[in-house]
Amino acid sequence: MGMKIKSQQDFWAGLMFIAFGLFFVVFSVGTPEFLDNLLGTRLIHGYQMGSAVRMGPAYFPVMLGGLLAVLGAIVLVDSLVEEGPAIAAFHFRPLIFIAISSLAFAYLLKPLGLVVASVALVFISAYGGHEFKWKEVAIVSAVLVVGSVLVFVKGLLLPFPVCPDFINNCPIR
Amino acid sequence: MRLLVLLALAAAAPFAAAQAWPARPIRLVVPYAPGGPLDISARLISAKLQESLGQAVVPDNRPGAGGNIGVDLVAKSPPDGYTLVISAIATLAINPSLYSALPYDPIHDLRHVTLLVQVPNVLIVSNDLPAKNVQELIALARSRPGKLDFGSGSTGSTGHLAGEMFKMMTGTFMVHIPYKGSAPAMADMMAGRINLMFDNLASALPNIKAGKVRALATTTRTRSSFLPDLPTLDEAGLKGFDMTTWWGVSAPAKTPQPVVDRLSTEILKAMDSPDLKERLHNMGSDAPAIRTPDQFAAFVAAELKTYTELVKRSGAKAD
Amino acid sequence: MDGIWHNLGIGFIEVFKLQPVTMWGMTLQHVPFNIIMCLIGVFLGTLIGVLPGIGPVATIAMLLPVTFSLSPIAALIMLAGIYYGAQYGGSTTAILVNIPGESSSVVTCLDGYQMARQGRAGPALATAALGSFFAGCVSTLVVAMFAPPLAEVALKFGPAEYFSLMVLGLVSAVVLAHGSLIKAIAMVILGLLLGLVGTDVNSGVLRFAFGISELADGIGFVTVAMGMFGICEIIANLEQKEQREVFTKSVGRLMPTKEDFRRMIAPVLRGTALGSALGILPGGGALLASFGAYTLEKKISKYSHEFGKGAIEGVAAPESANNAGAQTSFIPLLTLGIPSNAVMALMIGAMMIQGIAPGPQVMTERPQLFWGMIASMWVGNLMLVILNLPLIGIWIKLLTVPYRILYPSILLFMAIGVFSISNQPFDCFLMACFGLLGYVCAKLGCEPAPLILGFILGPLMEENLRRAMLLSRGDPWVFISPSKPISMGFLIAAIALLVIIALPTLRAKREEAFAAEDT
Repeated sequence: MGMKIKSQQDFWAGLMFIAFGLFFVVFSVGTPEFLDNLLGTRLIHGYQMGSAVRMGPAYFPVMLGGLLAVLGAIVLVDSLVEEGPAIAAFHFRPLIFIAISSLAFAYLLKPLGLVVASVALVFISAYGGHEFKWKEVAIVSAVLVVGSVLVFVKGLLLPFPVCPDFINNCPIR
Repeated sequence: MRLLVLLALAAAAPFAAAQAWPARPIRLVVPYAPGGPLDISARLISAKLQESLGQAVVPDNRPGAGGNIGVDLVAKSPPDGYTLVISAIATLAINPSLYSALPYDPIHDLRHVTLLVQVPNVLIVSNDLPAKNVQELIALARSRPGKLDFGSGSTGSTGHLAGEMFKMMTGTFMVHIPYKGSAPAMADMMAGRINLMFDNLASALPNIKAGKVRALATTTRTRSSFLPDLPTLDEAGLKGFDMTTWWGVSAPAKTPQPVVDRLSTEILKAMDSPDLKERLHNMGSDAPAIRTPDQFAAFVAAELKTYTELVKRSGAKAD
Repeated sequence: MDGIWHNLGIGFIEVFKLQPVTMWGMTLQHVPFNIIMCLIGVFLGTLIGVLPGIGPVATIAMLLPVTFSLSPIAALIMLAGIYYGAQYGGSTTAILVNIPGESSSVVTCLDGYQMARQGRAGPALATAALGSFFAGCVSTLVVAMFAPPLAEVALKFGPAEYFSLMVLGLVSAVVLAHGSLIKAIAMVILGLLLGLVGTDVNSGVLRFAFGISELADGIGFVTVAMGMFGICEIIANLEQKEQREVFTKSVGRLMPTKEDFRRMIAPVLRGTALGSALGILPGGGALLASFGAYTLEKKISKYSHEFGKGAIEGVAAPESANNAGAQTSFIPLLTLGIPSNAVMALMIGAMMIQGIAPGPQVMTERPQLFWGMIASMWVGNLMLVILNLPLIGIWIKLLTVPYRILYPSILLFMAIGVFSISNQPFDCFLMACFGLLGYVCAKLGCEPAPLILGFILGPLMEENLRRAMLLSRGDPWVFISPSKPISMGFLIAAIALLVIIALPTLRAKREEAFAAEDT
């Protein structure tokens, strides 16, 4: 009987929606009783449902989550029936480098200051692109760092540390 | 002889360190988003303290979780006098019982320095409610159990708990309608969709004066200078009713006494200065009678006790 | 009507007043101080509007202490200038780099960015500026003439009316998508659910936070917008096999063509009307106006097939709507003392520090303040259009920078902006997560705009639904009861709109079914 996936995009989109929908339902209402009894403890607590009259915090998310799962199922079934586009290839390189560069910035800012964090972001994100010329990236990061310090720290007075923690007397404050 | 000198020096060291304080900028954590009354008073005080202490006092906004995040941050900071926090009735007296697990202890983890502001709340009703004073309101509420709605700025806010206290003391049942902030609640009240609310006097005053809502009583023991003709709930028959919204400055628990004393003196001086006094007055605050750190600490302990009881009886919960 | 001219006269005199100013030890006489504050305000506002992630709220909060030493009118003029200056600036980032500066710029991204990619950034930016200027002028007139009665209308909107309006709004959000209808609805619902993360207003319970204290106040709009629009777009651009320049090198003219002007007149008018009307509603009014205007244009325009690919109406209408909404959102503040959004709440703070209690009597007790502010809105809008039009040339030049240099810069500004929300790394982490989500959704043919609109409206919708039910003591018919004609009207419109939207799809499916039968 093999069911052929006629629309790859819709198939996985449907699955994604079902997953999200169920996620919200389960975390709103909590794990069902039989599962708790099996495991001995209550895995997920969930919130109060209340009634339609006096809705508790779980009511709206459960309804929406359920609706989302149903829509996901419709999209899924549709993907087996209707022709649709295939999923374009995933390119992991830009995704990973851009993500890492933002995280690097965020987690380096406090300990090492704006200068180091910005340079890290620029270099890592540039590395995720097509061309990477050291000198060019270095110049760009220098310009950006100077500009950012002027605009954000001096101009807008954002409380970002400019120098790393271990340097005690930062010339720029 | 050398030993004696060394001992004397060792004994004097903490005092010496305190004399040197402040040697660098002080961080004043504001556990709320910028722009609210607590944030504004923090900025006013910081500006004044900078002049008298000779070091920058930098407000640092850390909003979240009803103020708990900011207070917890300071409670766990080094007690060297360089980290302070704006602590309020919510974070010190109400949240401990509202939240099931608070990461800090308001009595033991913090040293309370000065009470900055004490603002009365006022009981206001919608214009189309047939109650012109507190007695009529109580009678109305008793005759229509569960039919009246009272609004508040959020679950567990002073407005909410004032309402709960009122219900408890009068034996009435009214439905609590929470809002995101007291302004939308005020809007619904002006439109007559909710019947009453307890709001902070400064915010409610313009609408009271313009006749858009009717004020019945204040929640403090003594009458407010802003509305001297308005009776207090205590006078109106709810004996002992005394609720204010308040906030002040606190430091980590083990902050040295000399630092606390100096801070307290300087903050009080700032609050007594004419321009700051006027600005705080504009926010609805009459200068608090509680001045010293010890008085403040005793006040906090008393408030904590009152509100723990009240929150439990009202069944309000944050998580 | 005489009163109006008299009042406006008071206002303009106040704005243009010459005052002695003491600065740095010198006293200068005859300085038009209020005008200067207006200029500073709109300039700052444009700057922070252009910078992704940094918004008027943070800036105004930081400037509050500065306002202590200014006169009330000067302080408020400057702060107001920052606010609607940020609207102008936000459109610029939306068009140039597909990042919505403000929530009401989300819709501008859809067509504005496409226009920019086609080398039509100049006309797009000019349309936004001109449309905003027109809308600003008209809506300021509306504020001047109709502030008190409009405020009364705003008061008529209770939770039931808000809920129904938001349902209508969400249905229009679905129209924004140009792909599958069902997937658009699903994205809206996903957005709604994500918006529920955080503290529930009605019960105080913390939902879906999994012990992460940073989530106690929910996920911020800026975080989601930067992630799903900004990061996602950069990654998508980097994915191209060869490095094609994202913006075509043949950058065209700066100004719109005659044809463009002809096409934008009606959308600007409609957008202005819608924005002026919806802006008075506290909480989401301006946002609803901008994408309501977009939806309206898409449905009635004869170029509706171009929407999503660079239709000029898709920029003109929402931009006019959101600027009109920005001006009229001052009405609840100035007449009732009720803030429409976070920025207005800050203004209340600024006023209270100055000893002005915001409320109904401001208009009567301090006419110079009230009318001075209104006059300053005109002046501010004029300054903004004068400021922004020449800037278009600079922005266009900026777009010719090779993308490999451009995108790290954009990314840096985004990261700084997001980090500055609460000075914690967590927000950047969330931004990266939403970037990933956006990337996956794009691969699966799901669009981010409906999600983000659901995200903003979701919590508001739930709050109003539950409050309406609380007030009606559980009567679900309260939304369509005859005693609430406004609510009923919105819900009927929502259903009608849903039918109109679904009709083409249904008809197409029917035709397919018939065609399949015939063969």
